[in-house]
Amino acid sequence: MGKVLMKGNEVIAEAAVQADCKYFFGYPITPQSELVAYMARRLPEVGGLFLQAESEVAAINMVYGAASAGVRVMTSSSSPGISLKQEGISYLVGAELPAVIVNVMRGGPGLGSIQPGQADYFQATKGGGHGDYRIPVLAPSSLQEIVDLMQAAFDMADRYRTPVLLLGDGMLGQMMEPVEFPEKQDLDLPAKDWATTGTRGDGERKITNSLRLDPADLEVHNNHLQQKYATITKNEVRYEMYLTDDADYIFVAYGTVARIVKSAIQKAREKGIKAGLIRPITLWPFPELPFLETRDRVKAYLTVEMSAGQMVEDVRLAVNGRKPVHFYGRTGGMVPDSDEILAQLTQLAGGEQ
Amino acid sequence: MSSEQRIQILTGHFGSGKTEIAINLAFRQKRQKPYVAIADLDVINPYFRSREVQTDFDRLGIELIAPKGQLATADLPIVTGELHRVLLDPRYHVVIDVGGDKDGATALGQFSNEIRKQEYQMIFVVNGNRPYVSTVEGIAETIRQIEAVSRLQVSALINNTHLGRDTQVADIENGIAFAEQASEQLGIPLLFTTVSDHLADELKALSFEHRLMYMQRFMKLPWESV
Repeated sequence: MGKVLMKGNEVIAEAAVQADCKYFFGYPITPQSELVAYMARRLPEVGGLFLQAESEVAAINMVYGAASAGVRVMTSSSSPGISLKQEGISYLVGAELPAVIVNVMRGGPGLGSIQPGQADYFQATKGGGHGDYRIPVLAPSSLQEIVDLMQAAFDMADRYRTPVLLLGDGMLGQMMEPVEFPEKQDLDLPAKDWATTGTRGDGERKITNSLRLDPADLEVHNNHLQQKYATITKNEVRYEMYLTDDADYIFVAYGTVARIVKSAIQKAREKGIKAGLIRPITLWPFPELPFLETRDRVKAYLTVEMSAGQMVEDVRLAVNGRKPVHFYGRTGGMVPDSDEILAQLTQLAGGEQ
Repeated sequence: MSSEQRIQILTGHFGSGKTEIAINLAFRQKRQKPYVAIADLDVINPYFRSREVQTDFDRLGIELIAPKGQLATADLPIVTGELHRVLLDPRYHVVIDVGGDKDGATALGQFSNEIRKQEYQMIFVVNGNRPYVSTVEGIAETIRQIEAVSRLQVSALINNTHLGRDTQVADIENGIAFAEQASEQLGIPLLFTTVSDHLADELKALSFEHRLMYMQRFMKLPWESV
């Protein structure tokens, strides 16, 4: 397949199909409804199944059922709908079931607005549901990157038996860019010998369950989960560093905001301010290394988010007090432009020269 | 450019570029005609709708028929009754920007009786690089569905085959060949091929053989404002 011009939501859906996702359960909500519509049309073409659930809660529990049977399955929603799915996500984690969940974020809290936002970072990375858990969170900033990360999301889900969240915002879902779907590579993934596909007198019956009434047993299970998180943290961190080698000031931004920041960096460099960018691609596990590498040589960090300040807390943990960490954010569906971001940096760098 | 009809309706697969073309057409019409209205009938897209170019319309004196105030940014499928006013007023040149596919065109159906009584041109916008409309059969099926729900007939094609920022001259050439093939097989005339302003120099040779319309882009992303 050559290049095609697609909308972000379509790319998320098609990339999932290319990654062998055959089942989708969801409920439409702006700004990700095109994803649901695309799946409704596309999955029957590849012998898959699309089902519009009666609610987000129903959809995530259908995901639990399909994942238990060992198939690649996905659900998607936007902020308020993802809140509804949290119980199910916690259950998926407890039962160690692989699935991919997509959040195309909008302005919050509550029903909020339908314009883009990044205010669900806490919910995404700090365990939106109950219990001691983490799930990998991938944050693409272009439509082509969605293609790569969707494949990674399904692979990671299967490899570690965990739900994986793809986190974008309404702008990413609604914008159009040319994309290419590369040939899939065969991966060495573990067999799903735990899947509940029926016994044929070939061993014990299989159960997927998140209920463990014996506290000692549950602690053993929780320790196992924590070990898994340590392995994921060791193996799966992704980030991009942009013009950081000589930078006096380093921006930190993810998703679409990182692209606006890049254009602010170009303008800053034209004015003689050496600025760079650390763009976390995995929000959990959060990339610490780029901060360890740069924190002794930069003057300050400036985190930019479409939120009142969420990822900035992880940036502060990584910088660990060695350098000032500043923040600039817009909320409610307002998108910062490169000039206002540049103004923040200019002020930080001592004002107009 | 055949644009004599007072009412021009833009339909197509969703994401085929109807809104940008509608805005450009309205701007062009305004150079010659005193009363130009653009109707944003898009009940499908929550972002990147013609109502977002309101300031440009105001500056040029083009009337925007779209939900106003808070409703403008709601994801409610609102069709404003104001459209009747300009449809019935023969002084107006009206450009109607319809939402994508049959789902978007359904909103147009309620005006079909009024529109059919008048001179209208319903245009189908072709972008051969979009999924589901990359073959003549795909286009034919989409047109059939749009005609069924709108109860109006597609009478012209505009070729808008491109790849966004990656568009090369070869893509435009391939697009023209594809659109001409579609036009011939479907028996629907091809009005012109749209070309982004920035490719104007490279496409000079093509412009002798084909009708090109140079487009200004309005729906920009925040990092494109550099």
